[in-house]
Amino acid sequence: MTDSIERVLFTEEQVAARIAEVGTEISEKYRGRDVKLIGVLKGSIFFLTALARAITIPVKIDFLAISSFGGASKSASRGMVRIAKDLDEPIEDEDVLLVEDIVDTGLTTRYLLQTLAGRGPRSLGICTLLDRTVRRIVQVPVDFRCFEIPDRFVVGCGLDHKQLYRNLPFIAVLKPGTEESLATSASRKSIP
Amino acid sequence: MASPRNVAQLRLLSLVTLVNCKYWMALLTISGEPASRWEEVAHGAAQMLGFDLVTESRLRQWLNEEFGETAIPEQAWRAAAASLLARLATSHHLVIGLDGAEHLTRSMPLVLRVRITASNAMRLGNVMLDERMEKQEAAAQLAVLDAEAKRKRKQRFGRASAADFDLTINTAYIDPPHAVEVIGAAARRLSEQGLLSAAAASEIQFDMRLRLARHGIAPAGVAHVKRNVFGHPSEEMFSHLLDFYRIQWDYEPRSFPLQWDKDGNVTEAFTPDFYLPDLDLYVELTTMKQSLVTKKNRKVKLLRAIYPHINIQVFYQKDYQDLVFKYGWKAS
Repeated sequence: MTDSIERVLFTEEQVAARIAEVGTEISEKYRGRDVKLIGVLKGSIFFLTALARAITIPVKIDFLAISSFGGASKSASRGMVRIAKDLDEPIEDEDVLLVEDIVDTGLTTRYLLQTLAGRGPRSLGICTLLDRTVRRIVQVPVDFRCFEIPDRFVVGCGLDHKQLYRNLPFIAVLKPGTEESLATSASRKSIP
Repeated sequence: MASPRNVAQLRLLSLVTLVNCKYWMALLTISGEPASRWEEVAHGAAQMLGFDLVTESRLRQWLNEEFGETAIPEQAWRAAAASLLARLATSHHLVIGLDGAEHLTRSMPLVLRVRITASNAMRLGNVMLDERMEKQEAAAQLAVLDAEAKRKRKQRFGRASAADFDLTINTAYIDPPHAVEVIGAAARRLSEQGLLSAAAASEIQFDMRLRLARHGIAPAGVAHVKRNVFGHPSEEMFSHLLDFYRIQWDYEPRSFPLQWDKDGNVTEAFTPDFYLPDLDLYVELTTMKQSLVTKKNRKVKLLRAIYPHINIQVFYQKDYQDLVFKYGWKAS
């Protein structure tokens, strides 16, 4: 599986150390409160699990899943998404932290924030493992980020290519050419 | 007493009269509750339909052109704005994105009036996101916004009864990009019907200017819808960037005299590229070679010395490219 890897961007140790740091920052910010981590399936599950362990205050978790609609239509190319799996519990008056594997153009994240904000949480923040600011179209307020990355296609720690590589314990750049088949990929990253 | 049937016949008759008089126009008003995202919808609709967008700051600028520096009292604002918009509507298709815009066009036939609503929870969430506030603080801020909107409406329109809307869209269910599509479908026919006839505009103007005369206000000039012809592609790109973030802007709205000859004639002036009314800030873009940057810096320095109350920010080539690349455009 690692034949397609061009180089490792962040090693397992670097990822673990950074998640521990961010976990401490979150524990500090929300001290005296409970925080609800909302993961976006499927990419965020590895990060959310590690992050929850690094947080020292009480944590609740819930998950959302999103999907594009309109197939290859103009709408889909504009980043239109819909919730495919909603939260199990309401979030009214809760301190909510949206946990993402990657924030890219910001379109998906903005849609999710807009949706969650309308449900009356006490506060709403974003924590992302990777932040690809170079591709940002819509400004989103990222409260906690582990790493900022260049405009390359990356896998590992939950990020996939054609549903593979999620279980890599490090973050790596795919070899040029591997990512060309992205257009046919069913991965979440086909939704901006 | 008129029976419902007679009322229906009268309505049909008046509609036929309007058609025969060519009273058709392409006017679209979009307004709504604070934090319902109605401004975003108005902007999107104007872009989609290719209409000119009338915002609060743009209207203020036109009123200044039309009525000079005369301060227009809030009670006369409605008549001044309606008179001006009626004239502009004879030559331009307009999206009027103003709080209370529906009251401005009451005397105008066949206007599509759109109201954008959202649940209180959604509006509260929007304030939380926009202002980076927690719920409690955002609720207080929303109450301030609601009170301010109510106060302004009362000042401008008095005890105007609730206006009728042709279309009401709840952004809790139809988000702004989809709301734009819905409005586009409803409004597309308007632009096919042509513009407001000169006769209809004159009639409205006569009525409104009579009301203005009661306040001692008479137009001193004539405002025009200025299509922005940008001096440099980077300026157009910067305008797109501002649009993305819903920051209102005017392009080169004002020139500042910097030097005068002995007779008091202006020998040197400076026109900043953009004015951002919400931030009360002028922005000058510099994407040229160093010698021209130096010249421009001298002018900005002079402007700051002569007009210390004016806020101006210079965007140098590197700042600008960083910004443009960050948001995914190719710098020119």
